[in-house]
Amino acid sequence: MTLALQGVRLIDFGQYLAGPFGPMILGDLGAEIIKVEPVTGDGMRLATKPFFGCQRGKRDIALNVKDPRGLAIALELVRTADVVHHNMTAGVATKLGIDYQACKQVKPDIVYCNTWAYGLEGPLARFGGLDPLYQASSGLEHESAAVHEGNVPLYYRFGMCDASNAMLSVVAVLGALYHRKRTGEGQEVWTSLFDGGAIFTSDAHLVGGVPAPRPHLDKELMGVSATYRLYRTQDDDWICIAAITDDEFRRLCTVLGVDELVDEPRFATGASRSEHRRQLETIFEARFRTKTARFWTRTLDDAGVPNEVPVDTQGGEAPLFDSDNVELGLVARYAHPLLGEMRQFGELIDFSETPGRVAGPPPLVGQNTRAVLHELGHRDPEIDALIADGVCYEPDDHYAERFAN
Amino acid sequence: MPGALDGVRILDLSWGIAGPLGVLLLAEQGADVIKVEPPGGDPFRAYDGYRVWNRSRRSLTVDLKSDRGRDVFERLLRTADVIVESFRPGVMDRLGFGYETVHAAHPRVVYLSCPAYPDGHRFAQRPGYDALVQASSGQMWEQPGWRTGPIFLHMPMPSMGAFYLISTGVLAALLAREETGRGQHVTTSLFAGAMLYTTQIWQHVEKSKAQLHELMGKSYPPGIHQTMIFECADGWVHASIMSGLTPTKSQDAILGLDDAPDPFAFMALPADEREKFNAKRREKFKQWKRDDIVAAFQEHNHAIEAIITPDEQFEHPQLIANGMVKTVVDPVVGETTQIGTPLHMFGTPTAIQGPQPTPGEHNEEILKELGL
Repeated sequence: MTLALQGVRLIDFGQYLAGPFGPMILGDLGAEIIKVEPVTGDGMRLATKPFFGCQRGKRDIALNVKDPRGLAIALELVRTADVVHHNMTAGVATKLGIDYQACKQVKPDIVYCNTWAYGLEGPLARFGGLDPLYQASSGLEHESAAVHEGNVPLYYRFGMCDASNAMLSVVAVLGALYHRKRTGEGQEVWTSLFDGGAIFTSDAHLVGGVPAPRPHLDKELMGVSATYRLYRTQDDDWICIAAITDDEFRRLCTVLGVDELVDEPRFATGASRSEHRRQLETIFEARFRTKTARFWTRTLDDAGVPNEVPVDTQGGEAPLFDSDNVELGLVARYAHPLLGEMRQFGELIDFSETPGRVAGPPPLVGQNTRAVLHELGHRDPEIDALIADGVCYEPDDHYAERFAN
Repeated sequence: MPGALDGVRILDLSWGIAGPLGVLLLAEQGADVIKVEPPGGDPFRAYDGYRVWNRSRRSLTVDLKSDRGRDVFERLLRTADVIVESFRPGVMDRLGFGYETVHAAHPRVVYLSCPAYPDGHRFAQRPGYDALVQASSGQMWEQPGWRTGPIFLHMPMPSMGAFYLISTGVLAALLAREETGRGQHVTTSLFAGAMLYTTQIWQHVEKSKAQLHELMGKSYPPGIHQTMIFECADGWVHASIMSGLTPTKSQDAILGLDDAPDPFAFMALPADEREKFNAKRREKFKQWKRDDIVAAFQEHNHAIEAIITPDEQFEHPQLIANGMVKTVVDPVVGETTQIGTPLHMFGTPTAIQGPQPTPGEHNEEILKELGL
């Protein structure tokens, strides 16, 4: 045995992001992922980067599930599978004939996961949705911009609510697979973008109905306290400091040449430094402006004050070509049949006994249609007919005119 | 009905955000989690939000630097399936409980390490507070804001990525153990957690089709989604036309703008022309109350959410419908309202297992179980 999820087969009926990303991560852990893609292509293909970010390592069969012959093939696939995974909105899977009941009928111990926008039931359950809405509903956009300081709310461009929903589904599917391994029982599980957003602000809570205190950003979006934030240095460069303990605060004052602050009662404890945050920041801001970021990081390192110079990613290229990141497997490289070498983050979890792998680039639409159908026992004349009738698709001479990638 | 991880015992030595929250997703699937903390307690307990991330587990205080403490921990290890720790590389070795030592004596134990940076990285011995990893990973530079330069992310994004990698790594190793009978060393990091959330934006493509790729580039103002944030008479909303829903009336018609362009043609307009029309939209939005425009848009099948504070979430009808608003009686502060568990599993239901424990709250109980 070489892979943690060796022998696990997952059928991925999802499109866009919050559906497909979870199966991609499970594929990295060794599961075999078969993406069942509409013959017209995943709706996200046009968006290139986000699409590529959620599809690597999958095999791909292009299938019109709305056609009875397509549905029959989909259910044949489910019969060979351990997991079914998708992000269709309410009612769609039932209408198509691939909901949990239908899948369970052909594979009684199937693990079935639906990643919703909002949830299974409730006032908004029938709604679709996308990442920004859940950055709004969880309070992220309010906090990210310090709206309480009069700023306009700020959208985080990482699309983390999509990823959060997908990762919740990974955890739920793995828990269900573990249960199945021990008992033989499958089950239905679900997660949502909405809950995926909520977990990011899960430190927020009420005590006796009153919000518990949380740190907030300042108007300039520098940080959450005078000693845990960014400072502008000479030459308009930047440094981030994290002087959490009293001892680190003392050493920070020494490095900045303001030793006298240490003895002032208003800065004596973490609590009093919070209370007089603005006063302390004004002093520190002026001091940090007098030297370069490189000077400060060397000096703070020598004094044992946690700090970092923020790295400019140059659009994400820098980390993907960073030699340490590449060497440690944090960068994955693979060749796409049309677009040449691709890079993305690599294996984010290391296993000493069952190492993961990146199985390959994002697939073309229907790249493995014929191979997958062969495995199911279909023969070439039948496959040719399915393709001719538009029930299935495999890449042909007109691929580039039809699909973005 | 028991949870999926019923009978699995996890020793949680982690501090910070990623470890406790990663373990939480396992605890609320029914794993028996013992938080092993130093006398006096995990230093991160000073943060109020920690009482949410630290719930659903028991607490044992033990001094791993003392002979008696090591003896207790050694006995505990014999009962454990999983260890989770988040110290810098080398710290557990110095305590005498590094992976090699533990694995030799307890080959079935899954041993998960989540330092700030991976062992072998030039940053490996750098201090690993979340904000510093935001800086070193490039997340701060990646985020546009209301000024140039790096932006401090209020959400601790590296930790919020790493916690998923912890839950995932432990579960994958437990599954593998069912086949091999052996545990293993699983490692991830806050740095890897930061990378998890770059999946939509950090892509190198040798022969990319530039115009499509550029749409996802960093820009000022920040991106297409940002332009769909609007101020109302009493707050803010995030409205989007890209939801896959079929509206029954256009947003502009609801707002009372009759000269509106087709929404998708609008997206293709040059930025300054878009801005001209958006100025009119902003005027209209300001005439609405936040909750009224949300209701009016939803009635016509438009995706929209009020931009609320994190504390307002607990009144959101969908959060309530998802079973995600829970009362937890905390041993220190009493009745609290917290989010529930976001894993919805019909065969093996998840549940909050209890409030955060006080430091050492379960010392007697656990020592008795160990026969001490």
